[in-house]
Amino acid sequence: MKLLTHNLLSSHVRGVGPRGFPLRLEATEVRVIPVEFNPDFVARMIPKVEWAALLEAADHLRLAEVPKGPTQGYEQDETFLRKMHHVLLEVEVVEGTLQCPESGRVFPITRGIPNMLLNEEETQT
Amino acid sequence: MSDVQEATNQLLHVNLHENQRYIHVTESVPRSESEHLRVTIGATVPTGFEQVAADEVREKLRSSCKISKDRGKIYFDISVESLAQVHRLRSVDNLFVVVQELKDFQFKETKEKVLKDFEELAGKLPWSDPLKVWKINTSFKKKKTKRKKLNQNLSKEKIDNGGDKGDERDVKKELSNNALDSHILDYYEKPAIKEEISTLVGDILASCKNENDESSKEDTEPEVLKFRVTCNRAGEKHCFSSNEAARDFGGAVQDYFKWKADMTNFDVEVLLNIHDNEVIVGIALTEESLHRRNITHFGPTTLRSTLAYGMLRLCAPQPSDIIVDPMCGTGAIPIEGATEWSNCFHIAGDNNPLAVNRAANNISSLLTKSQIKEGKLSWGLPIDAIQWDICNLPLRTGSVDIIVTDMPFGKRMGSKKRNWNLYPACLWEMSRICKPGTGRAALLTQDKKCFTKVQCSNSKTQLEDPGIQWCLDLRV
Repeated sequence: MKLLTHNLLSSHVRGVGPRGFPLRLEATEVRVIPVEFNPDFVARMIPKVEWAALLEAADHLRLAEVPKGPTQGYEQDETFLRKMHHVLLEVEVVEGTLQCPESGRVFPITRGIPNMLLNEEETQT
Repeated sequence: MSDVQEATNQLLHVNLHENQRYIHVTESVPRSESEHLRVTIGATVPTGFEQVAADEVREKLRSSCKISKDRGKIYFDISVESLAQVHRLRSVDNLFVVVQELKDFQFKETKEKVLKDFEELAGKLPWSDPLKVWKINTSFKKKKTKRKKLNQNLSKEKIDNGGDKGDERDVKKELSNNALDSHILDYYEKPAIKEEISTLVGDILASCKNENDESSKEDTEPEVLKFRVTCNRAGEKHCFSSNEAARDFGGAVQDYFKWKADMTNFDVEVLLNIHDNEVIVGIALTEESLHRRNITHFGPTTLRSTLAYGMLRLCAPQPSDIIVDPMCGTGAIPIEGATEWSNCFHIAGDNNPLAVNRAANNISSLLTKSQIKEGKLSWGLPIDAIQWDICNLPLRTGSVDIIVTDMPFGKRMGSKKRNWNLYPACLWEMSRICKPGTGRAALLTQDKKCFTKVQCSNSKTQLEDPGIQWCLDLRV
């Protein structure tokens, strides 16, 4: 699971609503897999990123050199874009967990795939 | 770069999962050496996606298309140098080169007269240029088979190193398939009014004729090509069947070229497409009549990649769009997406652990292929897989740009009864996660009744901030 994906995931436990974001990320196995750098893609993705969630996740994974926010003129700043590219797309959580900040429910990540299925009781409305 | 070198480069790079970088349209190249042949190519596409395919042709080949009245076919002109690029089209199932288009064929009143006309037609057609194209095309395919075998051997090594054997084998097949060998499912197509080809009778008769006229000429011939005629006929006013047309036309073709008729092991497949008064004779460039028999299963309901491509293209993905398939099965759609639109981010989700694992395997096998091709070690793609419940998507509201999915039809998967409950919940969640204003979706479904019911009830309850503008675009 990439950090860009983590940025989109939100807990859907009953009653939690928007307080289910962001999920608390813990990892026991992380891999770095290079992905072709596309500056245009990264530049356009920046405004869509929820920064606080990204920084928190990166912190939990103990990643170094993570920009704290978009810099002035970031669209042309290749160093900045490359760092963001690395953080969003190249860091893969292979084994770990995602925890709902509101309910505490834990979702496992196995072989890179998060399992977000809930039990019957957790979804009944 | 000379023509020859350009052509060689194209031959070496014929591979549909290729990096966009390698595709270049031949522009102002000195044309002194080659014949610079221009031909008309016909392509079969999933019905309803003719316009999408035409757009792709315009984009990649800079050619405009004619969309045939005979559904599921488009025609365009190219110069022979672009043949490699034609094979890279992702929205076409099969290709053929047009020998001749007869727009207003005057069918005579009796069957005998009509069939005689077909016989006489064979000798009058301009075969030489199309046959040249066929020859060039065959040499492409030989090179491709060599590369396929190389890739298969290399990915086989990967299997031996661990992982799910069954899945890997399936995945290998999926990836070595391409638009040329389409895999799976006329399941989505409405049964056509066309007669299905069954020219076995024609073959027997032709081979009978062959025995009678046997001459020693054939033995001294260095290369006797094997051929078959495939006839598709649509129209109500014809007094003959496709079998009969194929048989008699085939007989004449055989006499003209002294080829051998062979229904299964053929070199040349001659196509006789008849739609009302329009007759088109062509030569297949891909395995036209066999593609339906080439069913390889990676999962119970895997979608044809041409259909996946067409649906994605319909949504006009923009760079950095987030594209989700919330019922991905084996991941056909997101994988097609990650290959063709690598400037977007793709998410494949399903509730079934088998499906998600298969999708993840398919993804990592994709990586293997590009690894080999570009000599890069373990490069990743902008795609992720998640196990989730479509009725309760763990995604932020308004975070997704595009949803493309193949909805369960209630035939092979699920049931009509389940669909009744599934559809409203699905659509609700899908509209929630979609970005208001710009969010869009392409949903493939055969269950019209259920879908229409849901749509109506949604507008009655007046969804707030409808994320998706529901365009009920039924492709049947």
